[in-house]
Amino acid sequence: MQKPIATTRSATGIPTGRLAIWWVLASEVVIFGGLLASYLMFRLGHPEWANAAAVTNTWIGAFNTFVLLSSSFTAVLAHQAAENGDGKLAAKYLMMTIAGAVTFLGVKSFEWYSEISHGYTITTNGFWSFYYTAAGLHAAHVLAGAVIMLFIAADAAKGKELQRVEYIGIYWHFVDVVWIFLFPLLYIAK
Amino acid sequence: MAQATAAETHAHQHHGPQGILKYVWSTDHKIIAMQYLFTGMFMGAVGGLMAYVFRMQLAFPGISVPGYGVVSPGEYNSLVTSHGSIMIFWVAMPVLIAAFGNYLIPLMIGADDMVFPRVNRLSYQVFLVSAILILASQFVGGGAFGGAWTSYPPLSANAEYNLTPAGATLWLLAVALEFVAFLLGGINFIVTLMNSRAPGMKAYDIPLVAWMIVIASILFMLSVGPLIAGAVMLLFDQTLGTGFYDPARGGDPILWQHLFWFFGHPEVYVVLLPAIGIVIEIVATFARKKLFGYKIMLYTAVATGVLSFFVWAHHQFIAGIDPRMANVFTVTTLLISVPIAELLFVIIATLYGGSITFTTPMLWALAFIAEFLIGGVTGIFLGASGSDIYLHDTYFVLAHFHYTFFPIAIIGAFAALTYWFPKMFGRMMSERLGKIHFWGTVIPFNFIFIPLFVLGLAGHHRRIYNFNNFPELVPYRYLDVMATAALIVMLLFQIPFFWNLLHSIRKGPAAGRNPWRSNTLEWTTDSPPPHGNWPVDELPKVYRGPYEYAHPDRAEDYWPQNLPS
Amino acid sequence: MSQHTEHKGERHGSHHPNYKAIYFTLLALLVVSVVGPFFGILWVTLITAFGIALVKANLVVQNFMHLRWEKRIMKWMLATSLVLMFLLFAGVAPDVMRHEGARWVNDAALAAVERGIAAPHHEGEAAAGEASGGAVTEAAAAAAAPGEQAFDAKGAFTTVCSTCHGTTGAGDGPGAGALNPKPANFGSGAFWEGKTDEELVKAIREGGASVGKSALMPAWGGLYNDAQAKALLAYIKTFKK
Repeated sequence: MQKPIATTRSATGIPTGRLAIWWVLASEVVIFGGLLASYLMFRLGHPEWANAAAVTNTWIGAFNTFVLLSSSFTAVLAHQAAENGDGKLAAKYLMMTIAGAVTFLGVKSFEWYSEISHGYTITTNGFWSFYYTAAGLHAAHVLAGAVIMLFIAADAAKGKELQRVEYIGIYWHFVDVVWIFLFPLLYIAK
Repeated sequence: MAQATAAETHAHQHHGPQGILKYVWSTDHKIIAMQYLFTGMFMGAVGGLMAYVFRMQLAFPGISVPGYGVVSPGEYNSLVTSHGSIMIFWVAMPVLIAAFGNYLIPLMIGADDMVFPRVNRLSYQVFLVSAILILASQFVGGGAFGGAWTSYPPLSANAEYNLTPAGATLWLLAVALEFVAFLLGGINFIVTLMNSRAPGMKAYDIPLVAWMIVIASILFMLSVGPLIAGAVMLLFDQTLGTGFYDPARGGDPILWQHLFWFFGHPEVYVVLLPAIGIVIEIVATFARKKLFGYKIMLYTAVATGVLSFFVWAHHQFIAGIDPRMANVFTVTTLLISVPIAELLFVIIATLYGGSITFTTPMLWALAFIAEFLIGGVTGIFLGASGSDIYLHDTYFVLAHFHYTFFPIAIIGAFAALTYWFPKMFGRMMSERLGKIHFWGTVIPFNFIFIPLFVLGLAGHHRRIYNFNNFPELVPYRYLDVMATAALIVMLLFQIPFFWNLLHSIRKGPAAGRNPWRSNTLEWTTDSPPPHGNWPVDELPKVYRGPYEYAHPDRAEDYWPQNLPS
Repeated sequence: MSQHTEHKGERHGSHHPNYKAIYFTLLALLVVSVVGPFFGILWVTLITAFGIALVKANLVVQNFMHLRWEKRIMKWMLATSLVLMFLLFAGVAPDVMRHEGARWVNDAALAAVERGIAAPHHEGEAAAGEASGGAVTEAAAAAAAPGEQAFDAKGAFTTVCSTCHGTTGAGDGPGAGALNPKPANFGSGAFWEGKTDEELVKAIREGGASVGKSALMPAWGGLYNDAQAKALLAYIKTFKK
């Protein structure tokens, strides 16, 4: 399919793809915001959830935070490489970011497996319901982002559509920012 | 039409898929618009027939409804739930926003397509799946979801209460997918409008209907997020046994109410603004007069959108919210009637002194104003928390929102369809049949819902299966029969419309490029426009605003946007 | 491609933050936020956990996402979506976060706060200690523990069952009018003839259809466990004449 001429115009001065990703983020802010606002209301109204939250492993959470922060770093380095026209380098950095995503999901799987086998399931109590729902929704976004990033990396390695490296990067940083808030909410506030 | 063929063989012209697959795989915004339009119309017929069935039950309790059979209490609940959900999510939104947004926005801004044609196609495919899901839910064990379109837990969360567990989950999934489809579509509309305008088209040169659809998309996007989160929580309550909304498990059903209405109220403006945009286009064209206040309309629409986020709890006045909160929401709710009235006044001011022709689209546009006004003023009684204590959950509410939704979704849709039909299909519809359809729809409409205002004041509550159990309402039962009879008449008068539609598509007289002598860019290309809308090197440039009718410096009473002088 | 190179010079000419420096700042802040709770002072924890989260998020958004150099319109839109979230919280928290108001009380929530949640045991005991918290609902757990909080069968009957069965179990509750067949009349001898306790408990927990009766009698097993259903049955038997 040939790209429409409409895609190449830019009355706002913002490239079309970047404009679109910002709007995607605006909608994601209200989705996660709604979920986290609901969690916050319950958490502040139920101080006894501190005992439930005490079970989460802060070290695993911190490690995952480190992983995501690092993957954001490699994502922005990919953007820098793409800006300089180096598609192969950009693809390499994107693959590192994807590796970070896979690590994050792997650690999370191990973490959840451990918690579930100790009897902490999604129905255990309100805290755990929110824990699995919020972290689960976030993990779904990590997975989806990693898959899309794979396609963009493949294109970039061939020097194609390099501007998309920046756009998937913006999405990725958002996923990182959500985790930056999930970490204290679910792991530190005990 | 010969011109279109010549253009299509031009070397640089876009080529779409050919044959029947064209309709499945096409990324052309006009085809996607048609898909949304016809799906929406089909769902409208389904919703209308559901109304026929449950209104027959209401007028003649226990009757074996012709074409359906006896309506059981559970089926009644399923019918009213499905009717409401279908009309809002699968008729109003797809027709007003997805169909006409898709069709008009690229054409009106002089673009060859939306900026993300494949995402556009994906949005329709997701929407189609959602429509299939809600239709499929009618046939699962237990029947379609019967917990009302508002789906309050614990009724919606617990199978032992709603007795339609499969239907409940399918309903939730269908609605969630519909949301995803409109988020995808909305991003396309917003980015296309912001970026892909024709050279020379400044922000205030964009036809208002395009603005309205984009503002509506933004409103939708910002309000639906919390509900998506809430819907995930409800899904888990239904299927996994979590207790997000279950007090016994530490949850709170009021949370759902808030999340739902935080979206639910802006949602009504999401559908209202495009309908007003449609009316504006039609009124300007058929009054041959410049819009009274372009910037007023635009800023007022934005103000309405902003205010719409501050009124949601007026749906919860008697749910047990703090009375002091109720005071706040009463004030904001009454306030929001001001900008909306403003929008109608500007349209009326545009009509004043105009040279009016009563074509079928114009009749629909005028009917919109009259009927929506009734809907709007009756909202005042509901927005004031004191009177709402009595009126909440009665047929007064139902009549109010039908006097707003019907003008929006039905009158607005017919207005748009009859106005842009010549552009979409290259032929003219029959004016005679159009007028028969118009009067046969609007007059019975009033005979359905005015009685419902009276019934509501008398004490008819909503979502009741059989009013024979309420002896004090017996003197008013004739109104139930009147409303049902009027509905049947109105449904019968849709036959001339379908005949008109199908016959005109095939055999209507040729329309030419601009039968209405209108200014906006869609009328400068062929009817129907070719793939790519204009030949690649002839994309329009814009020199003025969209409503330059009866300009003193000009012999003609209209001045198309793309003419250099 | 052309739009990409056009913007290369336009936007990033002088707008290149030191990504490495920002990254290491983020890591340092992470360390601080993990260490914060060890001081055991609430305010320190809150600031290091959430204050730092805000700072980290801001660093990522401004520098990695380049929002600092983005056009104003997008900053406004993102700010609007954030503001709406504060609006949502402000409008909903009075009902959901608080457990009593001007004319209402959320008994269930207050009871949950009272009851509390058992502090977690160490690893070895965890499996045994927490298993009971796992599968069973809190309400059911509270009711099943004898002596802790006795199940009020009469209260449950009045609240849940009497709507259809009537307050004296005669099958004449307000909801019975619309039902066909009518709900059982527990006062009549004919009802009790030939029925076993097991059958009746099953009807309560799994619904009327499970014992060959009308499906209009819902399945209440999600609300009442076996012991509770038996308690209900014992109460219903007091209606026998």
